[in-house]
Amino acid sequence: MKLFLHIISLFFLAGFTSAKKNTYTEVKHTVIINHPGEKHPLEITLTEVQDINGLPIQYHTNVESVICLEEVCKIIPVKIYWNAIGDFQKYELKPGATLEKYEADLFEKEDYTKLQSILGNKKSPFKEVRIDEVLTIPDEHGDEDIDGVSGATALELNDEDTVQGAALTCYTLWHWANGDLIQKIQEQTGKSSNTKQLENYTTKEDKRYFEIAIREFTQRKLFNKTQIEVVISKIQEDHTVSRTAFKYLEKAPIETCMDACEKIFLIDQKEQTIAAIQFMLKTNLKFPVSLYNHLSDEIDKLHSYQEVSLFLDLMEIKNANSKHVINNIFPLLENNFLIARRAFWFLSNQNIDKNQKTILDSFKEKNKERL
Amino acid sequence: MKRRDFLKKGTRAAVAAGVIPMVTASCTGAKDMVYDREGDKWYNLGTGKTGIPSRKKTVSYDTAVIGGGAAGICAAVAAARNGSNTVLIQDRPVLGGNASSEMRVHLNGVNNIKGKAERETGIIEELLLHNRFENEQESFPVFDHVMYDFVIREPNLTLMLNTQGIEAIMDGDKIKSALCWQGTTETLYTINAEIFIDCSGDGLLAATAGAEYRTGREGKDEYNETFAPDQPDGWQMGATLLMSSKDMGKSMKYNPPSYAIKYTHEGANKRRKFAGFQDGIWWIEVGSKDDIITDFEVNRHKLMGYLHGVWDYIKNSGNFPEAENLALDWVGSLPCRRESRRFIGDYFMSEKDMTEHRHFEDAVAFGGWSLDEHNPGGIENLPEPPSYFHYHFKNIYEFPFRSLYSKNITNLMFAGRNVSQTHIALSSSRIMATCALQGQAVGTAASICNKKQITPREVKNKHINELQEQLLRDDVFIPNRNAKDPKDLARKANLIFGSSTKSGDAKNLTNGISRDFNNEINHWQSEGLNSNVQLEWDTPINLSAVEIKCDTNVKRNIMMRKDSRNNDLYGNHVPKELLKSLSIQGRVKGQWVELGAIEENRTRLIKFKFDETLVSAVKINLKETYGADDIKLFEVRCYA
Repeated sequence: MKLFLHIISLFFLAGFTSAKKNTYTEVKHTVIINHPGEKHPLEITLTEVQDINGLPIQYHTNVESVICLEEVCKIIPVKIYWNAIGDFQKYELKPGATLEKYEADLFEKEDYTKLQSILGNKKSPFKEVRIDEVLTIPDEHGDEDIDGVSGATALELNDEDTVQGAALTCYTLWHWANGDLIQKIQEQTGKSSNTKQLENYTTKEDKRYFEIAIREFTQRKLFNKTQIEVVISKIQEDHTVSRTAFKYLEKAPIETCMDACEKIFLIDQKEQTIAAIQFMLKTNLKFPVSLYNHLSDEIDKLHSYQEVSLFLDLMEIKNANSKHVINNIFPLLENNFLIARRAFWFLSNQNIDKNQKTILDSFKEKNKERL
Repeated sequence: MKRRDFLKKGTRAAVAAGVIPMVTASCTGAKDMVYDREGDKWYNLGTGKTGIPSRKKTVSYDTAVIGGGAAGICAAVAAARNGSNTVLIQDRPVLGGNASSEMRVHLNGVNNIKGKAERETGIIEELLLHNRFENEQESFPVFDHVMYDFVIREPNLTLMLNTQGIEAIMDGDKIKSALCWQGTTETLYTINAEIFIDCSGDGLLAATAGAEYRTGREGKDEYNETFAPDQPDGWQMGATLLMSSKDMGKSMKYNPPSYAIKYTHEGANKRRKFAGFQDGIWWIEVGSKDDIITDFEVNRHKLMGYLHGVWDYIKNSGNFPEAENLALDWVGSLPCRRESRRFIGDYFMSEKDMTEHRHFEDAVAFGGWSLDEHNPGGIENLPEPPSYFHYHFKNIYEFPFRSLYSKNITNLMFAGRNVSQTHIALSSSRIMATCALQGQAVGTAASICNKKQITPREVKNKHINELQEQLLRDDVFIPNRNAKDPKDLARKANLIFGSSTKSGDAKNLTNGISRDFNNEINHWQSEGLNSNVQLEWDTPINLSAVEIKCDTNVKRNIMMRKDSRNNDLYGNHVPKELLKSLSIQGRVKGQWVELGAIEENRTRLIKFKFDETLVSAVKINLKETYGADDIKLFEVRCYA
């Protein structure tokens, strides 16, 4: 038995080693890309690497090291790698290949390291310069003077921003590493991911994963409980995703959307509450008044003037003269003055009973200098 | 001739002129024409029977601005808007100076600090935006008219073109009047004013007033300047003559004129580049080590020769195949000047003030163009680089008010390349948008002088805070000087909030800093369009004005360029971030009341004025931009 297990184990190990090679699947995509140094769009092959579960984990493609307008420079193939959301990871040359500078100087060891750093810098000055500016500046420095004319360049590159003597190579590769391919990669990652994987994306810190997931949820019409919950959970964690999230929620069945609105309204954080109220103000979906009445029961949980004021705007527009709401708002007259005054103006325009009017009149008399 | 006689004869002549065409419409000859030769004033003038008419006029203003370039325009508009009856005197037929169609230099400013602009706001931005709306075709002659429109629409401002300030009439150490010659009307104007601002570049009026000035280069010891020469000398940066060409779609020959000076590029410094030559070459430049004003006409002729010599080299040397189809489309005849007189103020700005970012309590402007000192001799010194580009700034520097008024003439201020600074400091601050900020500062200061009947020096000593506050209110950015206008009621609001917030904070709108700066956010940005900002006061206040500073992306340049560059650093259109439509409401007794609306806004500083209204809250409804998805504001002010 022991021997058998060992054999199994060896077999498994051998199998595993073999499987490990095959764990990763490569899928090739043909994409059309605009490179700012090229006059016409280019067709390139983007290779997607998926893990054993089909999860996209990496992309790579082969590009040319330099756009060579005069056909006198040496072109070296360069392989560029990105992660699943299009962040540049590394570049590789074929064994023995070397990158060149102007006038046939070769890259030094430190130049390769610097190039890695340049390509990883999303805010590189290469983002903003034109290829003709790069072409005319072999020494990279100076020539800010365009007061005299148009033609001289404003290009000013610090030492850390370029490989001296190889600005064109840096420019070419930077735009490959940080250009239009990023968007293609993100779209592809969305398309290649299954529902479970997309749900997991919403838990990642990097918001770009959430955007990929929400785009796919919308396109695939995924509105079940799990997806809605992960979206709400993400809003709770980061209110800045609210706008994107509500665009998705608006496409859900109305009951689902209502339920989500209420949950987001009740998140005990100002930004999320405001986002929910604003959505309800702007949406064309017809929510029943019972929802608004129910929300007004929670009015004392709204802490800021802005939340209260916005909620009252919502009531004025979508649920005016609700006795239920009016009753819930009256206690606000005892709140801090700005909120109390806002409640006063709201109540003054509602159908109220005699007793309520007496209370309002009393408030008015007491605060007549501040209304 | 007595006036009555003249009128009678004039009438007779007019009747005759009116009749003749009817008689002679089809087949008339010269002998049929009725011609009263004895009454022909030109004939009598030519034969010496009458003299040249004596045309002299005296006019009076609060403030007189000499020179209608970017600095002068901003000075005059600032003075007029702030209440001074102002005259702007320009010796050319067009406004704009170096940026006019006569010279066509780009109206640069702080174009590039670490890859982004730190653009000038205030009047100069308003002018450049006006150009983006009215001159989509990016024509320099149209830009002339855009500037003309910008100036003549100001109700408190008189423009005199073709008029040169030639001599100051003094009353002790004060300029009493400026004698100005208007060539087109053969009229000598005596222009009286309380305050004179010389933005003419060369500063003839200021020089005749006896204002102290310098020319040439300081030695490095005098102001501890790293980039100054060891010993002082007379060199001044030269003037450049520009041109532009167009592609004719076929091979175009070029024969240089008789006055062309042969150019071979032999021995030229490698920094003398030809990039963008089709739009002009800035190093076709000639300076002077002596009196550059005296030398001007000689240098102009040389420059015309060099310009054609270089173009001949481009067209006919065989080194520029890309020039085969190009032909000169426009050639300048008026060189673009960089340097001559520098007048002395209470402070003399120098290199270290800029490179060490000295803080001035009287800062009123800023700059950030490189220390871009052109070489002595210009194109006549080919082995040297055309400019040394000594130093590239990583942040903007402050410019003090004390450098903008004369040390010894009590009612004289300056803006532009003639202000109080060393040759090395000038190499950066000479850029037009920097000069324009100085212009707005001195124009605003002039209005304070006029109101209080004081000198510019007294403004510095007693009212510098008022000057800075007015500039900040008028959308000038002064580094390290936050606005804190006590009259601004927005600062006293109990609450300010935005309907949504994508970035920043609505509270930033009253923090006194109207741009993001040094990586600090000073804005509020909505999430999407159709948003609003609301201010609440617990006790109602009387309001009659609301002023807003919206976004125009000051990190991207908007000036017109010959190459119409359009990338992250330069835009060739109205900035998409600019707020297009908005309205404001005030809450009056619990009801929102409309106080104003703008559908086609064109400015960063948006002003609403309305009848005084008692409000407990103000809501600014922000509807639309010129293309941006979100709306960004930098400031809200409210005034009674």
